[in-house]
Amino acid sequence: MLIPHKYHTTVVAAVLLIISLAVISYSASRLSETGFLRKMVLEVAAPFEDVINVSLKGLRDSWKRYIFLVGMEDENRRLRRENAVLSEQLNHYREGYLEGMRLQKLLDLKRNLTNRVVAARVVDRSRASLFKTILIDKGTADGMRVGFPVLSEKGVVGRIIETAWHASQVLLLIDGNSNIDGLIQRSRVQGILQGAGSAGCNLKYISRVEEVLPGDVVLSSGLAGVFPKGLLLGVVTKVSQKGEGLFQKIDVAPAVDFGKLEEVLALIPDAGAGK
Amino acid sequence: MIHYLLLPILLLLLVIFQITILELFSFGWIGIEISLIVVIYLGFHLDGLRGGILSLLLGFFLDCLTSAIFGLYMFIYILIFYLSNLVGGKIYAGNPALIALFAALCTLLEGLVIVLFYHFVFAADILYAIPKIFVPQAVVVGCLSPLCFILIQRFEVFLHVEDRRPAHKI
Repeated sequence: MLIPHKYHTTVVAAVLLIISLAVISYSASRLSETGFLRKMVLEVAAPFEDVINVSLKGLRDSWKRYIFLVGMEDENRRLRRENAVLSEQLNHYREGYLEGMRLQKLLDLKRNLTNRVVAARVVDRSRASLFKTILIDKGTADGMRVGFPVLSEKGVVGRIIETAWHASQVLLLIDGNSNIDGLIQRSRVQGILQGAGSAGCNLKYISRVEEVLPGDVVLSSGLAGVFPKGLLLGVVTKVSQKGEGLFQKIDVAPAVDFGKLEEVLALIPDAGAGK
Repeated sequence: MIHYLLLPILLLLLVIFQITILELFSFGWIGIEISLIVVIYLGFHLDGLRGGILSLLLGFFLDCLTSAIFGLYMFIYILIFYLSNLVGGKIYAGNPALIALFAALCTLLEGLVIVLFYHFVFAADILYAIPKIFVPQAVVVGCLSPLCFILIQRFEVFLHVEDRRPAHKI
């Protein structure tokens, strides 16, 4: 051998380093070309890499799906809780908003009235068909007295028939015992609006010669002294002149929807007016 | 003799394993360079010719499959192989702490060569890669190297046993 044995490693190292540097130099000068050996390695490695990557991807996807499902269950539970809380809050706010709207309307009504009024909340309503009454949360301690008219923003509700210290019972317009002196707005014809239970009210004692049409507005006449003049009572729905007798049969739909009544105003008559 | 023919294939499979499966554990940050540990092992246990050629081959495979600069890993691996070869004759290669320390230093050397190469050839400053990539990579490679040495040793024993069996039969 030309090279002494002790220099073998050095020479081989030098040769290999030169080869590698030559490869770097060569590949740097011809960047766009891929050598044959490199192509071979890539060709051989590509299927292996593909198989491994596909398997890994499958594993990763399964794991992610599992984790996702676990996470989703937790998230689902959390979102349900959140949803319940938010629904409750939304409901609360919506109720507040609607209450505000109703109170605003009552306030508007209060502004239009000259009498002193007391706002009250409906705390109960009779579900029996015979008596149509509601219970409000204001009583004698708040100035309530029997006979005081009760209104809502839509019109007349009825009148107080019983009072306790902090509660009062209101006889509704539609109760059979309720009789309110009313008049037809258009023709100014007067009659008595009597409750007819669930059917609504009847306007009585209107002569056959008077012209009353469905859609006519019925207002309080103010004659009996209980209800001030001009409060909305209802709208005529049906007029019948059939049968014998002096008077027409007039059905009136009350202006107030008693099933949805929540807040009312009790009207305190002037001290002199009641007497 | 058969394992000399088998070794290139095994080295290629090692590189594929490194760039596919081990990449998963690197979290796109540092590479877990088992091939470097193999080169150091070769440097400690093989002679200059066989080990040098195997390191060149390993670098070549890595260059083919990952490197942007073809030949860079060949150069680095040959350098590290001969450095290991030189050091291997002077230290006790069975000491895990020494193996870990040397592997970590070799990783840093590799990083330094790459940074210098980029600096002088491409005029690109990637000095930040040393503290951000190569130092953590050196720690990981250092920690893994004693275990890898044991595994490679066992594999080598297994290869030799497999190689001897036909000879006995003959």
